[in-house]
Formats: sequence, structure tokens, C-alpha cells
Amino acid sequence: MATETPPPPVLYADREEWRDITPLEQSDLENPLVPIFYPIEYKDAMDYFRGIVATKEHTDRVLELTEHIIRMNPAHYSVWQYRYSTLLALCSPEYLTKELDLMDELCLKFMKYYQVWSHRKLLLLLPESPSSTSGPNPLAHIIPTPSQELTYLSRVLATDAKNYHTWAYRQWVLTHYGDTHPGIWEYELIATDILIEDDVRNNSAWHHRFFICFASGAQNGVEERELAFVKSKISLSPNNLSAWNYLRGILDKLKIRYAELQTFVELYSGPRVGNRNEDEDEVEVYDLDNPRPSSNADLPCALAIEFLADIHEQEGDNEKAINVRALTSFDAFIPF
Amino acid sequence: MIPSRAISRILGPDGLPTFTSEAQKAVEKDLRETYSKAPKPLALQRMTHFNWLKTLLFQGLPASYKSQDASQPWMLFWIMQSFQLLGAGFDPVTKQRAIDTVMKCQHPDGGFGGGPGQEPGILPTYAAISALVCAGRPGPGGGWDDIDRNKMYNFFMSLKQPDGSFLVSKDAEVDVRAVYAVLVTATFLDMLTPELVAGTASFVASTQTYEGGFASASAPYYISNDIFLDEPRPPLGEAHGGYAGCAIAAWAMLEPFIKEEEASALNIPKFLRWLVWMQGEPREYGGFRGRSNKLVDNCYSWWCGGSLAVVESLIDTREETGDEQNVQEDNSLDEDDWEDTEWWLYDNKNLQEYILGVGQDKAGGLRDKPNKKPDVYHTFYSLCGLSTAQHRVYRSKSTAEKLRAEWKDSTAFWPSTSKVKQDDDAVVQARRREIYVQARSWREDETSHRYVGSSTNRVNATHPIFTLLISQCDAIMDHFYGQQPK
Repeated sequence: MATETPPPPVLYADREEWRDITPLEQSDLENPLVPIFYPIEYKDAMDYFRGIVATKEHTDRVLELTEHIIRMNPAHYSVWQYRYSTLLALCSPEYLTKELDLMDELCLKFMKYYQVWSHRKLLLLLPESPSSTSGPNPLAHIIPTPSQELTYLSRVLATDAKNYHTWAYRQWVLTHYGDTHPGIWEYELIATDILIEDDVRNNSAWHHRFFICFASGAQNGVEERELAFVKSKISLSPNNLSAWNYLRGILDKLKIRYAELQTFVELYSGPRVGNRNEDEDEVEVYDLDNPRPSSNADLPCALAIEFLADIHEQEGDNEKAINVRALTSFDAFIPF
Repeated sequence: MIPSRAISRILGPDGLPTFTSEAQKAVEKDLRETYSKAPKPLALQRMTHFNWLKTLLFQGLPASYKSQDASQPWMLFWIMQSFQLLGAGFDPVTKQRAIDTVMKCQHPDGGFGGGPGQEPGILPTYAAISALVCAGRPGPGGGWDDIDRNKMYNFFMSLKQPDGSFLVSKDAEVDVRAVYAVLVTATFLDMLTPELVAGTASFVASTQTYEGGFASASAPYYISNDIFLDEPRPPLGEAHGGYAGCAIAAWAMLEPFIKEEEASALNIPKFLRWLVWMQGEPREYGGFRGRSNKLVDNCYSWWCGGSLAVVESLIDTREETGDEQNVQEDNSLDEDDWEDTEWWLYDNKNLQEYILGVGQDKAGGLRDKPNKKPDVYHTFYSLCGLSTAQHRVYRSKSTAEKLRAEWKDSTAFWPSTSKVKQDDDAVVQARRREIYVQARSWREDETSHRYVGSSTNRVNATHPIFTLLISQCDAIMDHFYGQQPK
């Protein structure tokens, strides 16, 4: 029944192979404000980090040391910066391969840190660096292909479907490689289908869908499909800000009058029409343009009332807009 | 016409539980239980926070804060400015220690690092300058005149990207936080040259998403090394409160020059609608969330609440309201009084209830939400949020006119190394005067403060752009622009 406790770390100060380095303490004041009580393992590693920076060393063991620090404090951008310059100095397929493997682990583990994503991006861009020698770049075959990269990102998002950095990075991958690798867009829409199916309130997935269909310029003429899609999701759960924002986003982008949606919106802006039980017996004609609220929908829906008020406002009927808005608590207005 | 406030937009669960709605339900339960236990009337635990902050400032941060090792100027700024919001000043010895602590982070090549000996970064530079505004002074050893502005300017320019954005540091990411940080620093230090911010307004505009809020950055579409297309320039990441706060404040600082830049416009009404929806319902005690369908978090009390103050200044066409009403001795809450305050764009009463009712930790410090530990970041931005919910701070047209009239041409610092054409001094002076006036003309509407609980919950008013006291901003602007208004 022995519980395994990890052995205490062997400090760099006690390691033979680091004896040639003079550790440097942080050059603090004698009595700084807000000092941090560094754990001994962290302080020891940082002292040796300052030591190797002072001697401008860019060797193998710098990678070991900086990885150690990064695992204790992934936000230390100076350490990342030095690690990157060391990789450039050592630049070889072998090191890059190892580094990419490491980043597969660290991006997953520390996905909430800016630095892991920034470093990963630098690695991907290495073969494009203008300083590379002429001829086929030997590093180009080592970095993941854009579609491999997207597969990896799906793995990360499977652990946190709303992680901001991962989504922003994924969108960067698409903009960066989308023109030269048009095939990488294919799976993206399906990916958002799955995520929205799983959680219709996942705003990150909605944003990604808008990015694919409208913002990135990758798709054209998809508005009818997307209007039908978002309406079906509103009918499933009308009280969903993500879906209404998506709807408004399409209309604004394509300069479609909100009034064209009036029939649809009025199904949601008032109390339920008809009795639930009776409805079930009727043979309902499913109107694709105007899907009805699901039987469990909470009506009237404030988002629909707001939309209706905006229709009146767009059509120049401010009095009606004010009256409709008063049905929610959008009750006070100022002239714009 | 735009919605000015949305008090109860109850969104039902539609009988369809998902991961998002289950997390929401759990938080609502925590909020309810915590709020019901909070002593009434709601009170700011001023002394508890004061003591908590004092321990961190003088004794230091526990080992768990090693994750903030590269954010040391931030820690100092947030803690010291939290004291200012709570109404506590510092003795000269402490101020000097603060100045010396910050100056240890100045990098020999320009800018400030996240700690002594660390590489320079735009974000710690912003934090260091803000800490110096808070604690520093002109003259030898006072910090203000020890900033190497030429090198800092060159450092900023070395991180400037062709699309108008900035890297946060060498070999790091681009985002709108860096734009905000550069603009604040350059405004204070008289280095906001046309060269420094060329293309920056367009970059900020390109980060606005279809929802109305702002994303971390946008993708530049290059057609050759330095030429990029106006569109598509899609935002990277969804609309987010933190980036929105940086973007709208950046926009407000760039506003005087947007015409000459021909920057594409922001959609302010759309942004306002998004902000209003970010405020939680009464069952969430009016806290703000940072993204659609995410959970409320106290730090967005500032990022969204403060954005609303900036938006108000961008759209407000009303004359001064300062002397129209009688100043009440005690503006503590009375249900009817709140109805008189027409200018609020959101439910500032409910927001105060969140901050005071569920956002405070009994042992000191403020927190994201119940069951989260308090930290320095949440303490500072929650107090800023409380401040913006209590006070109306606006850009005063009469103050602006007065400052414009009293402006005296002074030597422009504008770095000699920059490519600015210095030959037309009148143009340079006019630009500097406008920067000075825009930053310096914010005032508190003394008739409009409203305190939930009682006026003993008052925290000081905060500048909506700079997250510093107005008097602090005025002092540093006067110093670096060589002005002595009456």
C-alpha cells in the first residue's frame, strides 16, 4: 500500500553537468514590494536560466532547462523567447520533431496560456522563414500538414469545447493555409454541426461556423442553407443568444432586411399558439422557412421580441418599436 | 434608437439541457446560496480587503503566485491601485519603494520586462507605466523622468506589424491588448505619433465580430510582404469582454485621428447591444459574462461595465448634466431613486449587488464567483467595476473647451529616431493638443453617483480609458505635455 511520492527534485546547483554555469539571482531591490516566495525548485532553475542567458549559451541542455521552467510556469515569455532562439541556433529536423511532440503535450496541458499557442505557431512557420537556405526546406516535411494540425486541434477542443486560444489558433490555421490547401475547409462545417448538435449553446462553435461561412471569404452563396440551419436551432431552443446573434450576423452581413423574417419571428415573440397536446395529434406541415417552436420552448422569447422591435425600428416605425420593446424589459431608450 | 437597459430578459432553458445550461444551473444555485447568506444591507468589506492587500504588498505573494513571475509590474499596479480605489494613499517611503521596484524592470534596450532582468514586453510596460502614474513623480528618482522614452518608442516600433497591430513581445502573439497597452503608454508619455499608430484603428475595427463584441485579433490577408487587403480580414476568436474592453478604449484614444486615417468604422450600436446582453439576469445578480452563453465572472464587471462608460462617451450628445440636479447627501439605494438616473445604459444597481453580494471573499479580496479563490486580478477589476457602477464618469465638453483654450505649445517629445516629419510644428502641436484634451477632459458627474447598501460602500471614481483615478491621469498628462492649466 505504499503511496508513491515523487522524489524531491535534484537541484541544478547539485548537478555535476551544470557546475560550469554561474547561477544568477534575480537582481531585486533589498526590499522590493510584492515579492514572490518562489519555491526552491523554481528559484534554482531560474538562477541557472539567468546564468545561461548571461553566457549566451544555445545548447541542448538549454532546451532541458527551459522545458523544466515552462512546466512550472508556462507564462514566462522570456523563457519561451530564449528557448525559441535556441531552437533556431540548433535548427535541425531532429530537434524540431522533438519540439513538435512536446508541443502536442503542452498545448493540451496548458491550453489556457497564450505562450504555448504562440510557440506552436512559430514552429509551423519555421519552413517559411526567409532566412532558410534556398532549395527545398528540410523542415517542411517535419511540420504537420494543415489537416493534421486541424485534427490535433479537434483533440484539444474535445477536452474543452470553448477554449478561446484553441479556437483563435484554429481560425489562424485556416486563414494561413486555406488558400494553398483548399481541402482543409471541407471538414470544418461538419465539425461545427457536431459541436452544435452536442450543445446548441456553444457560442465558440457558432462563431466558428460564421467564420467559415461568412467572415473568412471561403464560402459563397450559403445564406439559404445557413438561414434554414439557424432557424431550425432556434426552434429547438429559442432562448439562445448564440443562435439569434448568428441569425442577425447573416442578415447584417448580407444586408437583408429584418422584416423578411417577421413571420418566423412572430412564432416566438408571443405566447404559444394552440395547445401542446392538440398539436401532437395534428399532422403538422413542417414549414422549412418558418419552423415552429419545439413543444418545450419557453415562450414568449425575449430575444424574439427584441428582434421584432428591431424590425419595426428598421422599417421606421419607432413608436411600434418602443411599444414592442416594452414587452420585454428593454424599457428605456435614448435617441442615437 | 438603441436599447439602453435590459433589466429582466429571462431566458428559459426550453426543456433542453446541455453542457452549457447545466453549468449555468449549477452557478445560479451557488449564487443564490451565497447571496442569501451575505449580510444585508450589502456592505463593502473595506477593512478586510485592505488588510488582505496590505499583506500581499508588504509581505509578498505566496508560492502559488510563481505563475505571475513574468507579471510583476502587474501585481504591483493592481495592488496599489486597488488601495487607491478603496481610498487609501501611501506614505513617501512606500511610494519610493514602489518606484524603485518598477524601475528594476526597465530593460536596457527599452520598455519594461515582467520582472528584473526579464525581456521587455508591451504588457508589462503598460503595467509598469500605470504603476508609475500611481506611485511616481517628476524629478530625480521619481520614476517619471527615468523612463527611457526614445528606447521605449523604438521598442514599440520593433513590434509593429504591417496590419497596424503589435506583437506583445518579440516572437510572441498579436492581439488587441497590445494595442490598448501601446496607446495608453504613448498617450501618457507624449509619443503618440502618426507613425506609431498608422493602420491601428483599422486593425481594431477588423476585430469586431458579427455579434458586436471584439475578438483577440484578426487575420491579415497579405498579397505581398507588406500589402494587405482590406477584406476579408476575419476576427480570430469570438466576441469577448476582455478584448472588447481593450478595443473600445483603444478606439476612443484613436478617435481624434480616425478621419485622417480613413479607418473603417466600428458599429457602436451593435457593440452596445452585445454589451447589454452580456449582463446577467437578476437570478445572476446582474454580473457580467465575457462571451455569449458563458458564465458570469466578476472581472467583466469592469471589462463590460467599463466599456459601457466608454460607449456612453462615444454616443452621448447631451449637454453637461452636472448642475441640473440637487446633490443628495446620501445616495444610498432607494428603489425609486434609481428610476431617475436615465443615463445608465445597463442595470448598475444589479451589478453592485453581484460585486458586493457574491463577489467578495470573507477573508479578503474579490473573486470571479462563489467557490473561486480571490486573486489580485479579480480584486482590482471587480473594484473598478464597482466604481463604474457607482459613478458616472464622462468626457466633459466644457472641460475640453477650457483645456483647448488654455493649451500652450510645448516642445514635442516625439522621438528623434522616428520618421515623423517635424517640420510642420503647427500640425504636431494641434495633434498633441487634441491627445491631451481627449485624455484630460474626463470628469465625474458629482450628482449621479448611486451606492447600493449605503454611501459607506463608496469607492473612488475611475477613468474609463485608463483605469486610474482622474487626478492621477491629469497629473501625468500635465507633466509630459508641459501644461499647467488653471
